[in-house]
Amino acid sequence: MEFTLLWAALTGVVFAWGGTRLWPEGLPDHATDRMVGAAAAGLFIGRLVAMTLQGTNPLIHPGDILVIRGGVHTAAATVGALGTYLWTVKGQVRFLDATTAAAVLGLAGWHAGCVWRNMCLGAASDLPWTWSLPFSTITRHPVEIYAALGLIAAAFIVARLPVRVFLRAGAGLALASFVLLLTEPLRLTIQGGLEAWYIAGVVTGIVVMALGGRAGRSVPIQTT
Amino acid sequence: MAGVDDTISQVIKHIARIVVVVLMASACAGEEVDTSGVADLEPVTVEVFASKLESLGRPAIVNVWASWCIPCRSEAPLLTAAHLAYGGEIEFIGVNVRDSQVHAKGFIAEFGVEFDSYFDSGRSIPNHYAGIGTPITFFFAPGGELLSTHNGVIDDHALALGIDELLRLES
Repeated sequence: MEFTLLWAALTGVVFAWGGTRLWPEGLPDHATDRMVGAAAAGLFIGRLVAMTLQGTNPLIHPGDILVIRGGVHTAAATVGALGTYLWTVKGQVRFLDATTAAAVLGLAGWHAGCVWRNMCLGAASDLPWTWSLPFSTITRHPVEIYAALGLIAAAFIVARLPVRVFLRAGAGLALASFVLLLTEPLRLTIQGGLEAWYIAGVVTGIVVMALGGRAGRSVPIQTT
Repeated sequence: MAGVDDTISQVIKHIARIVVVVLMASACAGEEVDTSGVADLEPVTVEVFASKLESLGRPAIVNVWASWCIPCRSEAPLLTAAHLAYGGEIEFIGVNVRDSQVHAKGFIAEFGVEFDSYFDSGRSIPNHYAGIGTPITFFFAPGGELLSTHNGVIDDHALALGIDELLRLES
């Protein structure tokens, strides 16, 4: 039995909690709890979709749903998490915008959690900051650390944006997708990369930002 | 606070309803797998298995699995895809543990596993290589030297990383 995924998830929760302390303006009550719940629901939905696409019927094998490491559909998980979060705040999008920076920081924590799993490495490289697996001499890009640093930068950028309907939420989605799109070529994969989904995330984020801009009204920040 | 409590209460009720529906549906559903095209798995000893690895002129990935093992079900499509992509350069070998021939063959038929699996009901092979639990994925260099062990379900990136290590080792 190995619990490294739980440590990585805990790192994500700690980062998200830190985000709510760094940028507390306008957050709903129990913001971290809602984010964790939304992430769990997103994983559940993403897992169901991944299983179905792989040809395993979740109704016949419900136990398989628990094996998150067996594969989670990224796009379905993202949509599921966003939908769940909105549901918990009764559809008030100002809470989505107020939470985005902390959520992106939480995602950075999840990627930084690779250190617990010894799963930070990707494509081979001779650059001086690369490192190797314990049993190997082949040095590799610490691609998940790159992603974590990029997402931390994205969280700080999002936090500096004005609070306007969908502006921060769209920017967060676009920036997070962009960071993951940039790092994706350095990840090793058998079943194919996620570039198409990350491009879709960038485009969707920009469209959402534009829609918020057209609405053109500022949302007063409220502390509940 | 009361609003939050109401929300949490509603979430729990919805989840409970979903779980009940899933369990009822799973209880009603059935799945027949045709195992007529699957041969019996060959029993193997540690000595025979080790000598087979030593005689291989290429690296090997050994996956320890069982039909009752839920994580094994989750990683089976990934291993099948990996075998399709890299089976020409890397030897893929399955080791079925603590299982029956009937259930093991059902698993192979259900997931379309094309690489050979050995029958090791006593778990002597994973025990010999100090693997823990089920599933386990061992990565062997050409000649049978154990390079690394992945205890637990393996995901796409971890398997791809192990394969890349083996391929670079070979070259």
